[in-house]
Amino acid sequence: MPEPNVWCTAPVTRLRIVVLGGSVGMALLTGCVTVSPAERQQLSKPEMTPATDASEEVWHTHVEAAREAGFGGHGAAGGGCGCG
Amino acid sequence: MRLRLSRARARRPGGPWRRSWIASLQLLPVLLLWLLPRPGAGEDRVIVRGNYYREASTRVLQPTVDVEVDVPDERLSLGTAYVLDAISSASIASGAAEVTGGDQVFTEIRHEVLGRASSRLGDWGLGGFFRYSTETDYISRSAGASASRDLLQRSLTLSLAYAYNFDRVSRIQMNTMVVLPWCGGSVDIALCQPTGHGARTNLRQVHYVSGGYAHAWHETLLGLASVEVARTLGPQDNPYRGAQIPTSEVEIHPLQRTQVALTGGARWMIPRSPVVLEPRYRFTTDSWLIKSHAIDTRVHVRALPHLRLRARYRYYRQSASFICLDSPGDDLDDGSQFFCSTTEGEFATADPKLGAWHSHTPGVQVVFELDALAGIRYLDWLENGWVEATYNHVFQSNRYGNARLGALAFSLAF
Repeated sequence: MPEPNVWCTAPVTRLRIVVLGGSVGMALLTGCVTVSPAERQQLSKPEMTPATDASEEVWHTHVEAAREAGFGGHGAAGGGCGCG
Repeated sequence: MRLRLSRARARRPGGPWRRSWIASLQLLPVLLLWLLPRPGAGEDRVIVRGNYYREASTRVLQPTVDVEVDVPDERLSLGTAYVLDAISSASIASGAAEVTGGDQVFTEIRHEVLGRASSRLGDWGLGGFFRYSTETDYISRSAGASASRDLLQRSLTLSLAYAYNFDRVSRIQMNTMVVLPWCGGSVDIALCQPTGHGARTNLRQVHYVSGGYAHAWHETLLGLASVEVARTLGPQDNPYRGAQIPTSEVEIHPLQRTQVALTGGARWMIPRSPVVLEPRYRFTTDSWLIKSHAIDTRVHVRALPHLRLRARYRYYRQSASFICLDSPGDDLDDGSQFFCSTTEGEFATADPKLGAWHSHTPGVQVVFELDALAGIRYLDWLENGWVEATYNHVFQSNRYGNARLGALAFSLAF
């Protein structure tokens, strides 16, 4: 059975342009920022480390996947910053 | 347990509610979470959790245990996990409910085991996993792999992951309790095959790809972003929910679905304070025309040297699926009965996840780091351990009603 095709019909809105432009601008501004290992004391604390929450995020993702149509956003973001 | 259910023609006790809990297509991102490098890498660790979920008609108890060891160091880490889901839900035998004394509660069990391996080789991180889950009428298997690369003196991490899910979906016939393959509401159950692949089989497949970005923008600021795409093929409707749709005998969803999720977030430690702010935003869209927005804001406070507190607020909103567009009056799930169908009856649903609704979720968490006790004689084994308690309350506008989520967890390094 066919599924509706949203990809070809979705209009390009001003909001999307702003979001895309903002993302590209942010990437350019921060693209080569380097924080040396000696400066990463704060970043290595548990409250600054996404992987600290991994076991809890598993549970929240399970609940949200069972109750919401949306998905993701709970940890595919990069594998940490190498700060540990 | 107070039950709030209605309608007759139930095909299976507890079926629609239990299945709606378990048949989560998008658990693959969760599994890849375990491949992330964790703080304290280089030590073996066990984590034991007890999760609890309760809403008007469903209660879930989920004990889990996870063990990870380095053999002999972070160049190769092996992990395994076991998850037990005990789902208690109500029958929808409302026609007989008053005669027989009311709704009954049925509890069913799901077992899940997971094995994983990960490796840190210089600036590269590699990982893989396999997961197996089984219950009465559903078997699920997943496998995946990920790779990450650290750049800019490990200030920046880029990652790529792929996972594949292959499930076999079945349906239990009322009275006879015979388990039959389920190929979706659009396929005659008599023609449905329990083996092979294609439209007339009960194989459900999910291909999942994600790209991740994590960058230390400053010594107190971490930026995060990800793009995730999932493509699902096979039966995606609930074999027991047809009783809730007056215009159709069965629920009928399309056999294909493509979903995209874009996520951005940051963690910022306010200088010279014990406070970390963590805003997140996620947007999803899919080929069933559902769009969702989720804003998740967290505030972490280190109240004492070994005591962390966290407050959370999450707002979620989604639009209705294309199945509801032909009957726009039905697409808002306001908490009462919900169903929609296309004009020609090609598709029909009673799944609240396909309606328009929103939720608010406040929550709190307390983490006590056991290092505070490790200096006491005979308690040195508590070093690097922690105890965590979490509570979230979900205010949902749909018929699932409000929900409570609780969790207790502790972890020990060894």
